Amino acid sequence: MENQRTEPVIQFALLEDLLNLARANSLWPMTFGLACCAIEMMAAGASRFDLDRFGAGVFRPSPRQSDVMIVAGTISKKMAPAIQMLWDQMPNPKWCIAMGNCAISGGPFEYDGQYAIVPGADLIVPVDIYVPGCPPRPEGLIQGILALEDKITKGEKRNVLRRFARLERVG
Amino acid sequence: MAAKDEALQRIRELLGEGALTADPDFRTGVSWTITCPRESLVAVMRIFEECGFYLESLTGLDFQDTLEFVYHMNTYEPRARMAVRVLCPHDGEIPSVSGVFSSALWQEREAWEFFGVRFSGHPDLRHLLLPEDADFHPLRKDFGTVHAYRKREEVYG
Amino acid sequence: MAEYFPQPAQQQIYSLNLGPQHPSTHGVLRVLLTLDGEYVLEADPIIGYGHRGHEKMGENRTYLQFMPNASRMDYLSGLLYNHGFCLAVEKLAGIDPPERAKYIRVICAELNRISSHLLWFGTFLMDLGAFTPFLYCFDDRENILDILDRVSGSRLTYSYCRFGGVSRDVDEVFVEQTRAFIKRLRSRWPDYHNLVTKNVIFIHRVRDVGIIDKDLARRFGVTGPNLRAAGVAFDMRKVEPYEVYDRFDFEIPTGTKGDALDRYRVRLEEMEQSCRIIEQALDQMPAGPYRQERVRLKVKPPRGEVYFAFESARGQTAYYLVSDGSPYPYRVHVRVPSFGNLHCLTDVLKETLVADAIAILGSIDIVVPEIDR
Repeated sequence: MENQRTEPVIQFALLEDLLNLARANSLWPMTFGLACCAIEMMAAGASRFDLDRFGAGVFRPSPRQSDVMIVAGTISKKMAPAIQMLWDQMPNPKWCIAMGNCAISGGPFEYDGQYAIVPGADLIVPVDIYVPGCPPRPEGLIQGILALEDKITKGEKRNVLRRFARLERVG
Repeated sequence: MAAKDEALQRIRELLGEGALTADPDFRTGVSWTITCPRESLVAVMRIFEECGFYLESLTGLDFQDTLEFVYHMNTYEPRARMAVRVLCPHDGEIPSVSGVFSSALWQEREAWEFFGVRFSGHPDLRHLLLPEDADFHPLRKDFGTVHAYRKREEVYG
Repeated sequence: MAEYFPQPAQQQIYSLNLGPQHPSTHGVLRVLLTLDGEYVLEADPIIGYGHRGHEKMGENRTYLQFMPNASRMDYLSGLLYNHGFCLAVEKLAGIDPPERAKYIRVICAELNRISSHLLWFGTFLMDLGAFTPFLYCFDDRENILDILDRVSGSRLTYSYCRFGGVSRDVDEVFVEQTRAFIKRLRSRWPDYHNLVTKNVIFIHRVRDVGIIDKDLARRFGVTGPNLRAAGVAFDMRKVEPYEVYDRFDFEIPTGTKGDALDRYRVRLEEMEQSCRIIEQALDQMPAGPYRQERVRLKVKPPRGEVYFAFESARGQTAYYLVSDGSPYPYRVHVRVPSFGNLHCLTDVLKETLVADAIAILGSIDIVVPEIDR
């Protein structure tokens, strides 16, 4: 899957860092729900949890306008080609979060003889962050998004625009 | 006359008393079970349609010796549900009731792809839930992992 | 509308795929629309993008192992599905839960029904272009999730009901929180009505749009609020009372025409009726054990079958279980309400505008993984 990552030929190190800082703090996820986890994704964007606090609340309906694909739910074999197509339609740089056990490994639906699902989003698209849970709580998704931000800026210390600390550092 | 009694009386005239089994306690969730031969299925369904019933659910059961299809009919009255049971060999065909109930259009497509029994007279028998290129029938007991595959009398005996 | 409809000679027909990834198809539904300009000539919903093989999974695991699947089928009313599955197995195996458990189940199930309708309210109005109600109803919905989270340990996919009771007892705090929530929800109705029900734009979008009448509903097996909006007072809680629903005084709200506005009104009224049920259940709830102790984990029902129907948030749902006398079900079939509710769109969407098609799709309240199972 790594060969799908295309790096630009010419790199401007300092400018790239600056751009990454901007990218990390204004992630635009794609409105893309597959099953149960989609409801928790909606809840994360709605009143109480409010993803806008982290710059990631602008859900785009079109893949061409979004940076991060949150695979939220079970991937059926019928849906898998569509996910592949949506991923290909997203412009670089792009990231992927596998939300929930179904998108990580097939979750409760994977067993010997299962005919209907693809066990894991990483079989179709390259995944950056895995958020476990069935379904994960909105806090879990937010934690995943913060982890993705740190991955984009190559380290939490370099993410100078971050106003919230990640949970593990607080404790 | 209530829709349930009217339908019962007309089916009794069509199939005879032996085809009907009552469940007065509603223990299995149906008030009457009708065992119906394949050729009179459409006639029975037409009686249900004229009496104001709707097709609630259509499903199949796979046994070693036969397939069985169960049609649950209901109307908007208390405890009026009836089951129509049709036996069919594994390579057989069942007359389609999609001309009587529109909801059978999808339910028969689902039963066809899950059990591999053709519904003769169905206008549009394509895959519903499985991918278009699927060539297996997942709810047959010889597909995938199942706990038991029994003869019909071992379950209903 | 008929006079505006283009005559065959002027038609320029093309096909449009609505979905499977589209913000207003509520997940992974694809509708193949045959259009002439903005008018829909034919609509063919293509489903199966969420098919997970629940029914096959039922054939190779025990009844208890299948229980988590129940709430993942329709994740918006997971507790209702979980409740129904427990009732079906209890009926098959002859288990009688204690009185207190029955009341706890009914209270939680009705709370879940309200949360499901609240979510429908938000997403339906978001389909129509209104964003604010979405934030309002999620605010209310989080309160229900807090209550259920506290007693069941899960926000969405509850397996709270167990064979012969519930997994944990409720306490005084639960009762207080539930009463406070009902009080809060009632104080919100004026806001909702001022914001949406009296909104002229909303009324113009939904009145006389997507009419599902009695006859159409019967041909396609439409149930639930969509059927009640057409004027048929058919609710499993009244027609075949299960659990303790026959002890409560509540009404079945019905509409007259069966258009999208009626469906909206019926669902809003249903939330109020659920509040009434919860209040009565809280008053009547007896003390005592919350689960039957002598139920084996590996339930072993006798040979036979049961078809158990109950009312989920979307309509009449039923579990059809066949047992061969072993701890493993021989066959698990689920009758899902959204299946028929969606199927009738092949008729309803004909000769409507694309914008109305979105409103109709939102108004019938579908959950796609429930249809696909």
